[in-house]
Amino acid sequence: MLTASIERWAAWAPGLENADEWDRWCRAPAPLGADGAPPLASVPPLLRRRCSRLTRMALEAAFRCVSDEDMGRVTTVFASRHGDAASNVSLLESLARGEPLSPTRFSHSVHNAPAGLFSIAAGNRRPSASVAAARGTFPCGYLESISMLTRHPESPVLFVMADEPLPPTLAAFRDEPPGAYALALLMVPGGEVDFRPAMAGERASRREWPDALEFLRWWRAGGPSMTLSAVASAWTWSRR
Amino acid sequence: MSWYGDAAPAGACRLTALGMINALGAHPAEIWPRVLAGDQSRLTPRSDLVAGRVLHVAEVVDPLPELPSQLRRYASRTNALALAAVRQIEERVRAAIDEFGADRVGLIVGTSTSGVGEGERAIRHHVDRGRLPSSFDYAQLEPGSPAPFLAAYLGIAGPAYALSTACSSGAKALASARALLEMRLCDAVVAGAADAVCGLTANGFGALHLVSSKPSVPFSANRSGMTIGEGAAFFLVTREPGGIELLGVGECSEATDMSAPDPDGGGAEAAMQAALLDAGLSPDGVSYIGLHGTGTRLNDAMESRAVFRLFGAETWCSAAKALVGHALGASASIELGCLWLMLEAGRDGVYPLVPHCWDDTPAPDLPPLRLVRRGDRLLASSRPVVLLNSFGFGGSDCSLIIGRAPPC
Repeated sequence: MLTASIERWAAWAPGLENADEWDRWCRAPAPLGADGAPPLASVPPLLRRRCSRLTRMALEAAFRCVSDEDMGRVTTVFASRHGDAASNVSLLESLARGEPLSPTRFSHSVHNAPAGLFSIAAGNRRPSASVAAARGTFPCGYLESISMLTRHPESPVLFVMADEPLPPTLAAFRDEPPGAYALALLMVPGGEVDFRPAMAGERASRREWPDALEFLRWWRAGGPSMTLSAVASAWTWSRR
Repeated sequence: MSWYGDAAPAGACRLTALGMINALGAHPAEIWPRVLAGDQSRLTPRSDLVAGRVLHVAEVVDPLPELPSQLRRYASRTNALALAAVRQIEERVRAAIDEFGADRVGLIVGTSTSGVGEGERAIRHHVDRGRLPSSFDYAQLEPGSPAPFLAAYLGIAGPAYALSTACSSGAKALASARALLEMRLCDAVVAGAADAVCGLTANGFGALHLVSSKPSVPFSANRSGMTIGEGAAFFLVTREPGGIELLGVGECSEATDMSAPDPDGGGAEAAMQAALLDAGLSPDGVSYIGLHGTGTRLNDAMESRAVFRLFGAETWCSAAKALVGHALGASASIELGCLWLMLEAGRDGVYPLVPHCWDDTPAPDLPPLRLVRRGDRLLASSRPVVLLNSFGFGGSDCSLIIGRAPPC
């Protein structure tokens, strides 16, 4: 059993910007928008300009979730199934057309770009991991966050999951509930939320919303436990 | 209490078996003699990666296995490299699954490019003809692709995910694998990394002026960039004591720049220090350092300063990237594989060392390091302990320390 407390949380999606709006959404969810980007006012303009929409969403949620005094001392886990697929497709289009690659766009195309930009913007020198696990990305990112808490129990973990729909070129491969969103959880060891491999007979919930938001709905307004599947495994959260 | 003292974490973390493929060969028995010989003859000149340039690339020239038909949708070069490496330890993995149960075996895979090479061909097809080729599947391209592929291939039903922190991905995979064992979530973990050469990385590093046309000469006054490489290396990691163990992990973020390291090596030093602290060792407890050593101006300058500050000029050092290339997200796993083979090859307290292949031209502005020459041997009276550095884009630094337990 791997137990953690969620001390703070923040989420961002087009049209859903504060905790009240999200709590209302958790009780009565409606389809998420796919357009628009957060203001990211907490990041200096020079740095903000280098952030893709995905990174802006991830960092908006991240900075709303940590206090000024915590932002330098948290360890971080950033998870995204697709990463910055839109930017990466556009880089590959440039390459296909024989155009010179922008060095800045290339260095920001790595999966850990949100993690790197967060560390720069927050002045955070702590350990950080960036996770991807196909349709199991959220449970695996949560697990890596628990792992980070185990390795570095002296500081909270900031876990951020963000994704957006695949770009039009890859639209035929969209296989998940639509919507662009970011969810940030500030986690500390021990407390209220248990997490473990699902037991026989515990069935994964139907996926009406992205996993991260299914989790948020369960945690803010749901029942005693919830199970989500991840690659070949399944994971159960329950309340103490 | 385990053999390395009171400061050790609870439970050992043994690197039980290694599977590896890289430019030097299709498996460790081929690779190791070529490492020791400093054999750079397999570096391949390629003119098709960056327009108007010939790059020497450390590419895998051996044929790669085909993915099983039911997993064909994952067919990328990165996954084929991963499969080639994992097949070498498959028997051990299947024995672990039999012993512990499929749900008690985990998989952590580092990758930076995943199937970007296949993505390049697909997007070029789309640019030319307005549609994606029928052979393309997003399962090849998505950042975590090797995780579901390898889990399905091996029949692993425990945690399975990819870590992608650019060039430190492979080191972080070992860090997370150890945590899965420590948390008692798994009894065995397959951990490693795979990455393939592709046009995006060659052109991207080219645009950043980080690629050398000639084979790289790390830490030389003449260094002008990296030799891009590819490959895969995977370990079966278990909790049993003995053999070669992961003793320390040190991770940090540089928080300075997305593509350039802290010029003074502050991040590198912090990662090495954290690994020493984690292993309960002082710098003089480390006998050899596998340098990140990309051969770029900035990396080698900052890394030599950091290593010199912490270890002085007496500790053996070398950069395997001059031989196996810079295999990006797989580099730390492949280089850890070389260090593992070094410790495996030791007999009677004498250990062969990975030679530092360069042009013997020290840079006058860098502090001196004790670079290994071909044939140098490490004499270790007790337990040899070695450290490996890896530093990635986004300021993602990770140092690992491994050591061989003395015979019981």
